[in-house]
Amino acid sequence: MALVTSPTLICTPADLVTYIENEEKERRYPGFTTSSIDKIFRYGGHIGSEILFFPFLERGMDEARRLIREYGAENRSFSSGLVIAAESLGSGKGRFRRRWHASAGGIWLTVVIVNTLLPQASRLLPLAAGAACCETALFFGLPASMKWVNDVQVNDRKTAGILTETMIYAGEEYVLLGIGMNVNNTDFPVEISDSALSFRSFLGRECDLGKVLVDLLAKLAWNVGLIYFFEARQLAEEASVHPLIKRCNELCDSVGRQVLFGFNVEEEPQYEALVLGIDEEGGLRMRLSEDNRLVTEYSGEISYLS
Amino acid sequence: MSESIDYEKILSRYRDDPYGYIDLYSQHTGEIYFHVSPGNEVKGLSGKWHHIPGTHLGDIVRERNVKPILSPSSGVVSFVARELEGRFIEAGEKIITIRHPLKKMEIIELILRNVLILFRAPERAKYFFALDIQSRIEKFGQRSVSVKEGDEIFTMSLMKRDTPIYYTGAPGLIHSVYFKPGVTVERGDLLIGVCPPDKLPLIEKIITRVKAEWPS
Repeated sequence: MALVTSPTLICTPADLVTYIENEEKERRYPGFTTSSIDKIFRYGGHIGSEILFFPFLERGMDEARRLIREYGAENRSFSSGLVIAAESLGSGKGRFRRRWHASAGGIWLTVVIVNTLLPQASRLLPLAAGAACCETALFFGLPASMKWVNDVQVNDRKTAGILTETMIYAGEEYVLLGIGMNVNNTDFPVEISDSALSFRSFLGRECDLGKVLVDLLAKLAWNVGLIYFFEARQLAEEASVHPLIKRCNELCDSVGRQVLFGFNVEEEPQYEALVLGIDEEGGLRMRLSEDNRLVTEYSGEISYLS
Repeated sequence: MSESIDYEKILSRYRDDPYGYIDLYSQHTGEIYFHVSPGNEVKGLSGKWHHIPGTHLGDIVRERNVKPILSPSSGVVSFVARELEGRFIEAGEKIITIRHPLKKMEIIELILRNVLILFRAPERAKYFFALDIQSRIEKFGQRSVSVKEGDEIFTMSLMKRDTPIYYTGAPGLIHSVYFKPGVTVERGDLLIGVCPPDKLPLIEKIITRVKAEWPS
């Protein structure tokens, strides 16, 4: 498929590096030293190492898989952190084949990470993507929060969602982060018009898509970098509190709320509980309503009851 | 296990000691504190989704994080490594044993585990059969579905990330399924037992013999 440079959704790897150096690093000072900030951005420096734009794709995940196979067949090494961006998607989907409406005006990305992390670290990649989306929404003035695992909501309406899949090809593991962010798109299908919200609907004005994109990738580079940073510190036995988990607990508004939990909570809710927080492995700590016992879930989703 | 299986020897082992023993090992490094003693009755996971935790057996404290040790099964505590109380331990140390009376089907499964090729969970996660395997199970029945090395057999769901899991091991039919979709499986726990085609008659013989000879 031929690449066409989008007039609105545009950001080059060089733009991203400049943005990180000139703007994003400055915002990371509270809580981190200059050398830690440099190190974390170096760890996440592969994010956006290559950025491909398409005016239209059926699914970004499919294009990512096709590219991985193509690179493999041609014996070329794949750029970890490669970003596939489309102006619109024909068949975007969320979990359980839920349809994701991805019309022009939003940001629809697939970020491919060649997984070199230990399993206990790579499990946090979906959280890193959620944290990055939430931080970008906050930066652009939306009162956004994270709903575990990684939905981003404004006033309990979904502004960004993430689908993570893994592809194993020729012995290499690729993590595909599918990121959808409602920015200037407002034409939601009627069935989700009450539960979805775009930046534009909330702010009452359009946002520069290129600026939102470069900010999102910079924040993704930071949050993914935190995973590598903590893993390295853990291996050196210097680690204490995981900075990404700390950040997710700050961004998450699930704590203290009564929720319904289920693997597929829409179709098969399992139980009610009170959310206590996110544990150091990314799991959701809850107190069961039926008998007050503590549980931690690492897979599933919640919907808010209060 | 050879074709000339000594049923009498195996069954007498279970007649002499009709209990299963579940050894619990430390999952993390840290200081260990026990809440139970030998002889205490404990309860396992319960609830439709196995979401209600079992009895709180103790804690491992790692860098101020308290990791509870929960009973995976109902029974009676038969061993506690009491000498480790309050000490720093490495992951993988045997800490507690739980004894529970075996039912007929459990005895059959335990014997079969000597014959089947066992496939274990690589991570603490929720597991589902891959779509192709699931549709074959629905169409032909579980014990008619064959798998071979490299087949995508499960989807592992962890932190809203789906990862395909490929079968490794000798080819055969899916004989035993040890997990329920949507229920969390601990790392290292059994997911399926695969039966090489040449072992099918032996397995059928074991099941028939135990069913006939073991009181309900």
